[in-house]
Amino acid sequence: MTGGPKLVSILRQGAYLIASVHTALDDSQMVRFRDDLVEQIGRHRSRGVIIDVAALDVLDSFGARTLRTIGELARLRGAVTVIVGIQPDVAFAIVSLGMSTGSLVTALDLEEGLALLDHGVGAGRSTLPDRRRPRR
Amino acid sequence: MTEDHGASTRTSLSERADHFRPTGDEDQLLPQLVAHLREHRTKLRQEWAGRIQDSGLLHAMTPQEMADETTSVYDNYVGVLETGSVEALQRYARDLSERIIPRGVETHEVVGIVLLLRDVLARSLFEKYQRDFGLLNRVLDAYEPAANRIANTVAVSFVEERERIIRQQQDSIRELSTPVLPVRERLLILPIIGILDGERARQLTEQLLTGIRTHRAKVVVIDITGVPDIDESVADHLVRTVDASRLMGASVIITGLSPLIAQTLVTIGVDLSKMDTIGDLQGGLEVAERLLGYTVTRDVGMGGP
Amino acid sequence: MTSLIPMVRRIIAARVDDAALAEDLVQETLTRVLAAASRVETGMLEPYAIVTARNVIASLWREQDRHRRNQHRVVDLCPSDAPDADLLAREEQEAVSLALSRLSDRERRLLLAHEVTGQDTRSLAGELGSTAGAVAAQLNRSRARLRVEYLLALDRTEPPTERCRPVLLALSGGDRRRQREVDAGRHLLECDVCARLSEPLLARGQNRDGEVCIPIRSDGDIVAARQAARELASRLGFSRTDLTLIATAVSEVARNIVRFAGSGEVVVSLLERPRRGVHVVARDTGPGIADVEQAMVDGYSTYSGLGLGLPGARRLMDEFAVASEIGRGTTVTMTKWRDQR
Repeated sequence: MTGGPKLVSILRQGAYLIASVHTALDDSQMVRFRDDLVEQIGRHRSRGVIIDVAALDVLDSFGARTLRTIGELARLRGAVTVIVGIQPDVAFAIVSLGMSTGSLVTALDLEEGLALLDHGVGAGRSTLPDRRRPRR
Repeated sequence: MTEDHGASTRTSLSERADHFRPTGDEDQLLPQLVAHLREHRTKLRQEWAGRIQDSGLLHAMTPQEMADETTSVYDNYVGVLETGSVEALQRYARDLSERIIPRGVETHEVVGIVLLLRDVLARSLFEKYQRDFGLLNRVLDAYEPAANRIANTVAVSFVEERERIIRQQQDSIRELSTPVLPVRERLLILPIIGILDGERARQLTEQLLTGIRTHRAKVVVIDITGVPDIDESVADHLVRTVDASRLMGASVIITGLSPLIAQTLVTIGVDLSKMDTIGDLQGGLEVAERLLGYTVTRDVGMGGP
Repeated sequence: MTSLIPMVRRIIAARVDDAALAEDLVQETLTRVLAAASRVETGMLEPYAIVTARNVIASLWREQDRHRRNQHRVVDLCPSDAPDADLLAREEQEAVSLALSRLSDRERRLLLAHEVTGQDTRSLAGELGSTAGAVAAQLNRSRARLRVEYLLALDRTEPPTERCRPVLLALSGGDRRRQREVDAGRHLLECDVCARLSEPLLARGQNRDGEVCIPIRSDGDIVAARQAARELASRLGFSRTDLTLIATAVSEVARNIVRFAGSGEVVVSLLERPRRGVHVVARDTGPGIADVEQAMVDGYSTYSGLGLGLPGARRLMDEFAVASEIGRGTTVTMTKWRDQR
């Protein structure tokens, strides 16, 4: 049981990094996660980062702010960060806190997040890229 | 609670009442008149039923139902007079309300029949004791407060029970009243019609946000054409819901925003330029479909900034 | 049982640096406590867990030492009973007898007759010319005292102030009225010895219906507090969204304690009157907030000051109040109603 179950995992997929948070993190674990991830973005010269937070039942001001910081630090390293899997109640709590979420890029799940990265998100999300997305 | 008391023992009791002379023991008055009411149960109940019919009350009931109800109400009424316990009274009132509300009985009818019963019984007491004015006065003094208390409790309990049922119904109606409609793949429409209060706003949030996840929605159109006005806390709730939807990766378009509601939004500090608002539902749907990459037949410019 | 975990974790973390190893030891301790749970009197489970944790750590050190000494051997020897196993057992035994010696003769006789000889309360009452109820109450008081004296003896400390024993007794007995009378909550925040000693006593109280108390000292406690709040609140049938709002608000006020006061506690309780709801009290004895009003409006965008914590939590709850005194500490109380109106 040494090391216990992993709290987070960071996988590399081509030019993207996919980070999944598996369980509730306390503040120091969150900071460690942030540092690990940002370090790996630099090391792999990633173009896009997806952070899957579906397992989190709370994202308080510290958690949400850390995600925002990751996004900003990643941007400085030339990578776009997409947060995916925010649960309905968690989303409502984040905005209720009064967090400014403007700079967070979000998508419903991993699949959507990847699609968003493939279409090269840069600016806002409420307006999707002009070119028509191919429908199946 | 309903039990038929033998008449013979009661007769002797009421016989004694006839010869009752003031002894200072006023506590004996209620048992005496209870005995009298039991003794003349059939006659008094029929008289009461007749009065109810004359007044056009309880017309929603069949004659058979009416006979059953009046019998049981009469016996319980006398029972409450006899025991005088508040619990028995409340139980009686609650029981009565639960039974007759589903039959479409109105508040004025319930109060009406209880008051009629009170009067029928009072009249009967009057006839019985009229020869002895002093005794009559004391009997009525004992009877009236008790009778009024019954009428009062029944009315209050009836209203409470009805409110409870109404609340229950409102809850279920509310769930139906904020339908989340998946009109096509990844597009949800929420037509909101009617008063949007705090409770309904809460439900709307829950249904919309879980709806986004279940339907994997990318665009949501919330149509509030049918909402007359909202207060500031509901407006705030609405804005939070819109922001939360965005965090789940869905774009929200609000259609049918009335100038009144727009004003409320501005008052609570919402930057309207940051919300996608389109004049009407039709326009909103067109924009939504464009966002989703569908071909639109009519080329309408995106309203709002 | 789960209420033991934070305590065990703290005890072990204080003695073992390696986090993974510490977690292993926590698990081992819990397994042992669980195995023994049926044999241990309800109230004594926590002290038992403390002792077990210490035993587990001791045996680890022993193991490491033996391993070092025996590295050159090919075959692992059967672990012999190490000398300090006896020592620890003796230590514990001494603590129990010392604690017993501090009870009055009458208390001791009664307790031993009931707990050891197994005499029931009715026959005890008969002998003492009392009632079974009175005997049971007396037994409860004696048990509470024994717990306190046991912890003191095991710790080899004397309480530093006159208030300590009454506070510990009130906590041990689970007597809420008495706890209020002696202002137990504040004393625990001010007195290190009692804070340490009362841990198993408080953990006892966590099983009480409708209330949990979570000591807040580190980051990990923030998570524990919000999880406990969510779990308790879910008993009232709050919607998922409301549960998350409550958990998030608790997270914010608990973090406030860790960041600005260092330590404190969060007490979550269920309300029935005036209507159903969840009540949260977050208390610390930190430096206090100079300008509460400022703290409530300031820093929506920054986290350098009080930041989002308090104003954020206020937006999540129905009722919210902050009381703070410079040099004395801060108390935040907040409520979320289950029933509208």
